[in-house]
Amino acid sequence: MAGMSPSERRLQKELMSLVKEPPPGVSVDPDIAERNLLHWIIDIRGAAGTLYEGERFQLQFKFSNKYPFDSPEVTFVGQNIPVHPHVYSNGHICLSILTDDWSPALSVQSVCLSIMSMLSSCKEKQRPPDNAFYVKTCNKNPKKTKWWYHDDSV
Amino acid sequence: MGDKGENAGGCTMNNNGNQNQDELILAQQRQIEKEISESVPLVGDLEPVTSLDKEYSTDNVYLEKVKDLASKYKHIRRTRPDGNCFFRAFSYANIERLLESQNEFNEFYQVAESSKAILVDLGFPQFTVEDFYDTYMEVLKRLRDIDNKEDAKRELHTIFNEQGYSDYMVVYLRLLTSGQLQKDQDFYSCFIEGDRTITDFCHQEVEPMYKESDHIHIMAACAAINAGVRVVYMDRGTGKNCTEHDIPEGRTPTVHLLYRPGHYDILYPR
Repeated sequence: MAGMSPSERRLQKELMSLVKEPPPGVSVDPDIAERNLLHWIIDIRGAAGTLYEGERFQLQFKFSNKYPFDSPEVTFVGQNIPVHPHVYSNGHICLSILTDDWSPALSVQSVCLSIMSMLSSCKEKQRPPDNAFYVKTCNKNPKKTKWWYHDDSV
Repeated sequence: MGDKGENAGGCTMNNNGNQNQDELILAQQRQIEKEISESVPLVGDLEPVTSLDKEYSTDNVYLEKVKDLASKYKHIRRTRPDGNCFFRAFSYANIERLLESQNEFNEFYQVAESSKAILVDLGFPQFTVEDFYDTYMEVLKRLRDIDNKEDAKRELHTIFNEQGYSDYMVVYLRLLTSGQLQKDQDFYSCFIEGDRTITDFCHQEVEPMYKESDHIHIMAACAAINAGVRVVYMDRGTGKNCTEHDIPEGRTPTVHLLYRPGHYDILYPR
């Protein structure tokens, strides 16, 4: 692994571990990630017994060269964006560990698991209340939104 | 509705309908952070304590306190004010002191060696803990293998000013601190305001980079690496002297830190 930056080395390790031992419902396309370590596409499947059972989604991870000190930019992409109160129709996800509560001790795998758990605990499929406005006005990068996480009732 | 994602509260944008405002604020924040980081080294050189005078040339409250400080401390070593200053300063000052005594350094090394297993047992993800642990041990090993004490100190200084290594050292101490808080959560939970659990507190205030440290972080960090610290508070409070707090109470401090609201630097006693 000579010649790799610390963030590339870490990503390479994470990629290998995710390819070798993916958690249930998560799979990564190693070819896309190998071509550019800073850009991954991950497939996730809705868990059995949840509102998303049988559905397939794609997550895009973009990393900066400051990873893991900076959080990855994570969005849903592709044809099927889950209808969920924390997921905007443009694929942006409102999840505190992706911005304020990110820690270098987290990983791609732990982000995937948090997103799966967020989907699994959903009781009613619907978009966030401010979806229309947000999607119209937001930056392409969800990390540029100053999210407001305090409202636990939604 | 009624959904409650594990790590997310409900979501709305934090604004009054003006997304651009957010971007401007964030852009400005980043610019300020960049300016700070370019102007202050992660860990600076030794300076006389009286160099603080320059910062307060017209402020008598502070000037009196610098005088008091200078009667007890000879040098100050400044750290970059990036929210990691406590962890960086504490880690640096502790290792620097340990380099004075081979025995104590070896003891510390052994405790550090066993720390990964403790964190993994507490439920930290093996994969990421290992990443930070490996670098932490690599640094300690590198320092241990240098015979000459002064050379080792120079190496420590170089390592702590290389962002890659320095931040790994910060993260690992943050993880050890979080581990300590969770291990002794019965004790620490009474210091946490509101209805946050210790685990939430650790995820939100201890493990993330750039989150500032409070008394509770310091207590846990001291317990985690078995060190005592004296924090000398210098603020606009009344009196001519700085206030001192030893953490944990009653233990002879081996690391001395200067606290000015929002920031920690390292102090060297006379």
